[in-house]
Amino acid sequence: MTTTRQPMRDATQDIRTVQPTGAPPNPWQVFARTAGTIWSNGKARLGLIILAFFVLLAIFAPLIAPYGATENGFDRSADASPEHWLGTTAAGEDVLSQLIWGAQISIFVGLVAGALSTLVAVLVGLSWGYTRGFIADVINFIVNLFLVIPGLPLMIVIAAYLSGGGIGMIIVVVVITGWAWGARVLRSQTQSLRSRDFVTAAVFSGERPFRIVFREILPNMTSLIVGSFFGAATAAILAEAGLEFLGLGDSSIVSWGTMLFWAQNSNALLTGQWALLFAPGLCIALLATSLTLINFGVDGISNPRLREGKQR
Amino acid sequence: MTTLLDVTSVTIDYINGDDVTHAVRDVSFSLEKGEFVGLVGESGSGKSTLGFAIAGLSKPPAHVTGGQVLLDGVDIASLSPEQLREQRHGGVAMVLQSGMNALNPVRTIRNHFRDIFEAHGHIEKDRWDARAAELVQKVKLPATVLDRYPGELSGGMRQRISIALALSLEPKLMVFDEPTTALDVLVQHAVMDTIIELQQSEGFTALLISHDLGVVLESAQRVLVMHDGEIVEDAPAQSILNSPQDDYTRMLLSHYADPRADVVELPGFEDRGKRAGKPRAEGAVHPPSVHGRERRSDQKPIVVENLTKVYPPPRRGEAEVVAVDHVSFTLDPGESLALVGASGSGKSTIAKLITAVEKPTSGSIRFGDLDVGSLRRGQFRRLHSEVQMVFQDPYAALNPLHTVEYTLTRPVVNFTKLRGRDARRRVLELLETVGLTPVEEFAAKLPHQLSGGQRQRVVIARALASDPQVIIADEPVSMLDVSLRAGVLALLEDLREQWGVSMLYITHDLLSARIVTDNIMVLNQGRVVERGDTADVLRNPQDDYTVQLLDSVPNPRRSRVA
Repeated sequence: MTTTRQPMRDATQDIRTVQPTGAPPNPWQVFARTAGTIWSNGKARLGLIILAFFVLLAIFAPLIAPYGATENGFDRSADASPEHWLGTTAAGEDVLSQLIWGAQISIFVGLVAGALSTLVAVLVGLSWGYTRGFIADVINFIVNLFLVIPGLPLMIVIAAYLSGGGIGMIIVVVVITGWAWGARVLRSQTQSLRSRDFVTAAVFSGERPFRIVFREILPNMTSLIVGSFFGAATAAILAEAGLEFLGLGDSSIVSWGTMLFWAQNSNALLTGQWALLFAPGLCIALLATSLTLINFGVDGISNPRLREGKQR
Repeated sequence: MTTLLDVTSVTIDYINGDDVTHAVRDVSFSLEKGEFVGLVGESGSGKSTLGFAIAGLSKPPAHVTGGQVLLDGVDIASLSPEQLREQRHGGVAMVLQSGMNALNPVRTIRNHFRDIFEAHGHIEKDRWDARAAELVQKVKLPATVLDRYPGELSGGMRQRISIALALSLEPKLMVFDEPTTALDVLVQHAVMDTIIELQQSEGFTALLISHDLGVVLESAQRVLVMHDGEIVEDAPAQSILNSPQDDYTRMLLSHYADPRADVVELPGFEDRGKRAGKPRAEGAVHPPSVHGRERRSDQKPIVVENLTKVYPPPRRGEAEVVAVDHVSFTLDPGESLALVGASGSGKSTIAKLITAVEKPTSGSIRFGDLDVGSLRRGQFRRLHSEVQMVFQDPYAALNPLHTVEYTLTRPVVNFTKLRGRDARRRVLELLETVGLTPVEEFAAKLPHQLSGGQRQRVVIARALASDPQVIIADEPVSMLDVSLRAGVLALLEDLREQWGVSMLYITHDLLSARIVTDNIMVLNQGRVVERGDTADVLRNPQDDYTVQLLDSVPNPRRSRVA
């Protein structure tokens, strides 16, 4: 031996496996910390409160709503009264009840379509960002195709083809038209992360590309993915309302979009029933705003290096 | 002489919720007018925190919780932000490590000077251009750079611009915070020369903050040594060098040596010459673990022939970049070869080519019967089970979200047949091998809970996981503190001698090359300009470039101040 250290000791051969002393970070702790980061942002807190309000409204609709959504035995086109706070529709339904029941559809479509289009965006964006050469060019072409076609006309065309599918159809339409932007954002972040040393190091560790993309790169862009989820959910809520307002959905279900559709059909504004248009419109706007506000807080989540930067 | 800056029992805390870290503890010192003082400390010693406080730039979470900083008798803490801004003219100026990145990329250099002149109004408008030209000439740049954009200038030129910008306010005190650390070795040397000359011609007081005692001793008249937030020694440069009082200073000094000397010894390292005659192959004594070294006998060399790598031109109309130009060499089993050169010499490109991260333009790399140049992605595992890499930056080379155990388990599972408990035992063995004990505790840590030196050990452990024949170490210690370097180098040396691993050691630091390698190759712009036995080459360099590199090694015993 020429150096003072003796790195290989006899004991090396005899190390027995024992339980690790410190457990690796529990996913719940990570989640709690993330939630804490979002909560600490004022705007995001407001967004969360609004979102929680609508979610609770949707879940407890059967308890809160004074009447059923399609109960139509009341006076037609009545103004606001103690029995019907927001009046009734031309078909004789209670507007407030419809508003409360309608939250279910909007939130359901927003979350499901948002999650699905984010999932597509993650799968496409990450593999696109990691591959080079011909395949990347092909994906690039397809994504550009989706980006360059104006969203609403495409939606209308697809919806017209799939007509009569109800909520499921609307979700499919929103996902088809909504994933491309997220995929492009995630791709550029993947490209920047793939040049980091730890990704090269994973190649040296013999990792397969699939694992590198989803175990090394993906966890490092959680905040971006969460952000793109909220963005996609916002777009989905607006698209759902838009399609139904145009009468492209199933107009027999009760949602904020169909409420607008029927209000427009019955010339609610001309008859002075502004609440019929105003209330669902405000709800859509508030729900979309809440998700956008939450996104401000999501920006604050980052990797541990940045979090630790405060302490140093 | 009169006192310019008086710092009395300053304490600075980092306050983060309930978590209070004392970065600077009860520090007092003073600077005389016209003095050049160095402030030395390793990372985390609080030297930059102190520098920022002197310039009145402390911002949360750093809080000055005690003491005062008097500049010309005025307490900096008592100034309002507006007074502080006015005081920048003729007060304290600061040059940052990343100062070269502080220039706005879409504005010309001239506009940067104009902004300052406009903000302070200390120069008449018709003299702005003349004054700007005068300032860039002071930092040894032609007046034509004024019309360039920052992106068109090299790192060294941009750092010179940021010094000129700081000078434009005629400061009494200039604080240089690691002004040359982010620059290439050869450029570092030239920029330090300019700083020293400027200080003498302009007569400002200078405080040079650096982690490198060598750089500081070369330039400063007086040196403050900082350790754990306290100033442990405050003495003239000569007496620090000849009779250091504090143990910490002595420890720092012991890590400097002249790579040209006949005998080079660092703590933990004897001179290689003393070990001469001992065949390397015998080094592999203790088998590291059960999966053996049996195949050590049929270890294969890496043979590189006429290797050339050409990159496409960076901008349209420019010439293509020849990064590596017809390089040939052989890395024999158990050999340690140094590849040295300044940045842009192509040394890291060679590492990428050998590890198949990049493909050569022409020439061949063979490892046994494996033709590395034509390897496809799917075959990488065959190469990487034998050739592994230690990265330069331990902060970037570990995924911040994975525990040490996960990071080490992956190569074990991928390259060996070990699974479950056996794989875990192997991971713990690796941690033991690189000296991270207690192993159980380290296995559960996340990278941000480790120090730089500990991280680099994890990186080395990962490289060892596949039981490789060759380790390519790309500047493995350049990001580490001086006191940690010796430990990592000793580890690499041990591993090579005991496991019989051959090593390609890529560096610009000739001292460490002298310590851990047998043979050396000096690269300049992709070409090999000199090669041979490390000690011979460094003692009798033949090529001018090698001499330049040797001159740029900070040497405390060579003062540049007349």
